[in-house]
Amino acid sequence: MKYFLTILLLTVFSGLAQAQEKAVIADKKMVTVAAGIYKPFFETNDSRPLMVAAFKMDECAVTNAEFLEFVKANPAWRRSKVNRLFADSNYLKHWESDLSIGKINANIYHSPVVNVSWFAAQAYCKWKNKRLPTIAEWELAGNGKPRNIKYTSLTEYILGWYKKPNPPVLPNVKTTYQNQYGLYDMHGLVWEWTFNFNSFTSKADSRGSTEDEAKAFCAAGSVKVKDKNDYAGFLRFSYRGSLKGNYCIPNLGFRCAKDIP
Amino acid sequence: MKLTVIKSVLALALLASLVAGCDSSATTSTSSVAIDEIKGEETAVLTDAPNVPPPITRKHATKVIVNLDVVEKVMKIADSTEYTFWTFGGSVPGKFIRVREGDLVDFTLKNLPDSKLPHNIDLHAVNGPGGGAEATLVAPGQSARFQFKALNPGLYVYHCATGPVGMHIANGMYGLIMVEPKEGMSKVDKEFYVMQGDFYTKGKYEAPGLQEFDQDKAIQENPDYVLFNGRVRANTGANAMQAKTGENVRLFVGNGGPNLTSSFHVIGEVFDKVYVEGGDLINENVQTTVVPAGGSSIVEMKLQVPGMLNIVDHALYRTFHKGALAQIKVSGDENPEVFNKIKTQK
Repeated sequence: MKYFLTILLLTVFSGLAQAQEKAVIADKKMVTVAAGIYKPFFETNDSRPLMVAAFKMDECAVTNAEFLEFVKANPAWRRSKVNRLFADSNYLKHWESDLSIGKINANIYHSPVVNVSWFAAQAYCKWKNKRLPTIAEWELAGNGKPRNIKYTSLTEYILGWYKKPNPPVLPNVKTTYQNQYGLYDMHGLVWEWTFNFNSFTSKADSRGSTEDEAKAFCAAGSVKVKDKNDYAGFLRFSYRGSLKGNYCIPNLGFRCAKDIP
Repeated sequence: MKLTVIKSVLALALLASLVAGCDSSATTSTSSVAIDEIKGEETAVLTDAPNVPPPITRKHATKVIVNLDVVEKVMKIADSTEYTFWTFGGSVPGKFIRVREGDLVDFTLKNLPDSKLPHNIDLHAVNGPGGGAEATLVAPGQSARFQFKALNPGLYVYHCATGPVGMHIANGMYGLIMVEPKEGMSKVDKEFYVMQGDFYTKGKYEAPGLQEFDQDKAIQENPDYVLFNGRVRANTGANAMQAKTGENVRLFVGNGGPNLTSSFHVIGEVFDKVYVEGGDLINENVQTTVVPAGGSSIVEMKLQVPGMLNIVDHALYRTFHKGALAQIKVSGDENPEVFNKIKTQK
């Protein structure tokens, strides 16, 4: 009888846990970003305005709590097991252990997960039958007009965030603004991985040895630049250029995207 | 088939000998570089302005290890005004680096994890791609390492060259590296580090609170602040540089810009010697010397009489309205033979 009860209880609890896990999975609302034209920060032969098809995007960045579920379900992505080729030594370093964010970190459960590599982010998205958004998709989504904040120009708003050092504790998701598509925190919380972050390389000196970089560097005077004052776009461009796929960085998170069939 | 292989091997050998020929003729001009045998290694002493690392007494080349951190931090730009500076080593200007001609510099740039942005470093003393910038683009929390041979003696600016470059420089990302000539520098009594930079803020000069970078003003080259050593009154009054009469003083002067050229002048002293643009050329008896953005100058003066020497950009509105003032307090005895105020008879 005792055994039976225990088993029953266990079954109920594990069922609950599974339900919770599923709840988390189901909870991540995706919104539709309408088709549009992505205009690159500057135009070259390899970087032209692109037609972007409508797609779905997570309404906010993936949180620590959500990422924990992924790590539980995929042992290869535990901190102690991960392959260094896919995540550097900073991978999830802000967590207490492999499978615990930690009680002292209770205030970041619903903050964007950071210190995750591109490979980890992409693996998470794949696990959810999603993928990382492309630069074009991300930029199109990121240009959405803010709904619920007062601002003079989006560029100014973004630059204001870029110029502040990281806060000691990363705030929760959905704490900045929501934009016209219903997306939260596209700017102002964390940087986000994109699928093809390094497709346009400025891995070098941003004054560049490649033709593209040279054009980017000469941005201030180049007629090819869409907006000479788009310093925010320029900063995202150089940030992405500094990345490698296995980097894990304290202000870099991600959200997933999905095609609309 | 075999014949083709042999032919191509022969062709390669011929090519190799040709290349080798080119090389041997070319090495004669750079043989002085090859002679510098690297002996031992040491870690560079790095200093914040207005301090300068001690002169180099070594008579041989060595491997010099330089570890420099990129730190983004809020600091005072004026008594009641704050600004988010991006720095090499935690202050503006960045750490002063001192090496010797022929040294092999082993440079590690670390971008602290709390940084918001990637950064890199272009040292004007480097012969190589981007002055090191290509090898050092570092994301927050990452570090990058490269080596360069200090071939050319002189005083060189270093700065961040990550896009948008102007903005990184406007936020304070510059400093100086001195490559001492093999024969060393002449002995002086005091050395100081003074670096000018222009700053662009949303609020006016000394408007209180945390002020943001203003890109429109930067594009218009219309700074609110023109500063020596990164802050209004960084080295004036109680914080003035200290010297005595009779002393020979050397100033390592840099200009980070990003926009303005400095008309560098010390009120009440003539520069006995100016290493023009920080190079080998020495000019004597100079009143005002030009320090271009991204350039430097070394000035020397023998202090004759006591008092407060005002260091200014002689484009004087910058001094009176934008903060371009530093001071050297000269103590010691009066020297009436050089300067004597005559009391008028009543």
